[in-house]
Amino acid sequence: MHSSLPRPVSRREFIQKSSLATAVAAVPLILPSGLRGANAPSKKITVGIVGCGNIADSHFPPLLGSPESIHVLAVCDVDRERRETGAARVNQAYGNNDCRAYADFRELNRRPDIDVVFICTPDHWHALVAIDAMRNGKDIYCEKPLTLTIAEGRALVDTARKYDRVAQHGTQHRSMKRFHDVAEFVRNQGLGKLDRIECFIPPNNRFCGATWTPEPVPAGLDWDMWLGPAPWRPYTSIGCHYNFRFISESAYGQVTNWGAHYLDIGQWALDMDDSGPIEVEGCGEFPSSGLFTNATKVDFTVRYANGVPMHCRTRHEGGGTVRFVGERGWLDIARDKMSASDNALLREMQAPNKKIQLALSNNHHDNFFDSVRARKRPIADVGLGHRTTTVCNLGQIAMVLGRKLKWDPAKEEFVGDEMANRLRTRAMRSPWSLA
Amino acid sequence: MPAETSPAAAPAAYQARNSDRYSNAGATPDPWVECAKLTYGADRSFAWTVREQVIATPPEGYGRVEEKLLKALATPGRTDAGLAFLCQMLALVASAKSVPVLAPLLRADATADAARYALERVAGPEADAAFRAALGSLTGNTKAGLIGSLAVRGDTASQSALAALKDAASEPPVVREAAARAVEKLNSAKS
Repeated sequence: MHSSLPRPVSRREFIQKSSLATAVAAVPLILPSGLRGANAPSKKITVGIVGCGNIADSHFPPLLGSPESIHVLAVCDVDRERRETGAARVNQAYGNNDCRAYADFRELNRRPDIDVVFICTPDHWHALVAIDAMRNGKDIYCEKPLTLTIAEGRALVDTARKYDRVAQHGTQHRSMKRFHDVAEFVRNQGLGKLDRIECFIPPNNRFCGATWTPEPVPAGLDWDMWLGPAPWRPYTSIGCHYNFRFISESAYGQVTNWGAHYLDIGQWALDMDDSGPIEVEGCGEFPSSGLFTNATKVDFTVRYANGVPMHCRTRHEGGGTVRFVGERGWLDIARDKMSASDNALLREMQAPNKKIQLALSNNHHDNFFDSVRARKRPIADVGLGHRTTTVCNLGQIAMVLGRKLKWDPAKEEFVGDEMANRLRTRAMRSPWSLA
Repeated sequence: MPAETSPAAAPAAYQARNSDRYSNAGATPDPWVECAKLTYGADRSFAWTVREQVIATPPEGYGRVEEKLLKALATPGRTDAGLAFLCQMLALVASAKSVPVLAPLLRADATADAARYALERVAGPEADAAFRAALGSLTGNTKAGLIGSLAVRGDTASQSALAALKDAASEPPVVREAAARAVEKLNSAKS
């Protein structure tokens, strides 16, 4: 499947291309002038990490564990303590003091010796950091959800295509064999005619009261830069690291946090990686006061052109999971468990030589770096990441509006609902924009 | 005490007690006024009430809701948080009718971001003209944000003004860079 896709250009080719571009328009923060004449080692891939919080924690071990092929050169965070801790972690692993810590991602993105950028920021920053990195010749690994809004996702994908970048979405379930096997089994009609898909996501795990108190910004935190394109609000410790995901200016709660994983497997099994549902309806429960604004109870359903519905609901026990229900029974799969209405289905699922075979990756990082070297699209290319993130957005918008909506996946717009269409995007706080 | 036990006296005493109770409560606050006075960290229940009404409005009622939101913008004692909230609501329903009210806010550095939040979603020449007119009033970051809005809206009529800003030595880098990106985006949209 992937071999037929257009081939992203190598970094070396990009440098040659961009050198021509910079010859006619030398605008330092826009065109990759810093790349001219510079080449990263052809075998060892150099890495910059933007965002040094808990999501980055999961990336450090694999990135630092392969010094023969991967070298982390720089980290960036708007929180001084976090970036210094990140840099110290890298330096300790390498036994030197070479890792540079940046407060502004644009400086990291302009380093000519960095090949790829890992984006581990809050969601409201994903699109801007990724687009800036790709404009500067970097390949990217962008954590989930790919973007905050649908418009941001389209812009990010268009940028990846325009600059021929390798761009992986951080939905690592795509590189876990059990999810691959289920998607492939369903795609091959292993469950017979598919009746429905049921995704369960965990509830919000942080809560706050009806009021909150603005606090002084801690020393070392650039709050203005932390907010970036999000609407301004005063700092409060309960609305910053990690908890941002429960505030709709920054993220859509568990809809995008876990939904990005489990809805993604539904999209994969339905062969919807370049499309999406045609209808959505939902009724979430939202807090009427307090700092957190995202749904405390999620309940929405998207429906595809083949008639199959995919439900997404909050479940208070049992964690995240996706269940496929067909005429032959059901399969239930999570990161750490798998069950079926009949064990024979699990055995059948493992059988080789299925008619339709999906691309197989056993490690999301390895797949990304292999793709960077081979200049091919990775297992969770941002194109399909955008489509999955769109499903999350559709659910969010339907719950906010509380009504059934028609969606045109080709045009990426709602049919006959102006208010819903306006929710596909939002103006960014100055000076940021998608331009 | 005969008066206390007579059938006619009991309801009167009951009514008097209720009257006291409700008169002490005062008039019910109007959520459309209270939401304009929202402060960061305070209870936002009134804003939530307004939000629920806005999103439940069918398209034929957008004009009526838009008028109520615009009226709320003029509330004495309007706060920054109130302005931001009202503009987020206007982003859902605003039309050209909002332009004369929002245009002055768009031209002031302190309120331009909130106004952009609403106006960026309003299609049509009236909004385009308001964005272009504000170019001469804003400075620094807010000017860069405004330039981004012009590009996102695909306003090709602003291209010559943006091209001039791209090379204007009098402008800070943030403005020149925003203008350069906007020109590139508008050019690529045309091709």
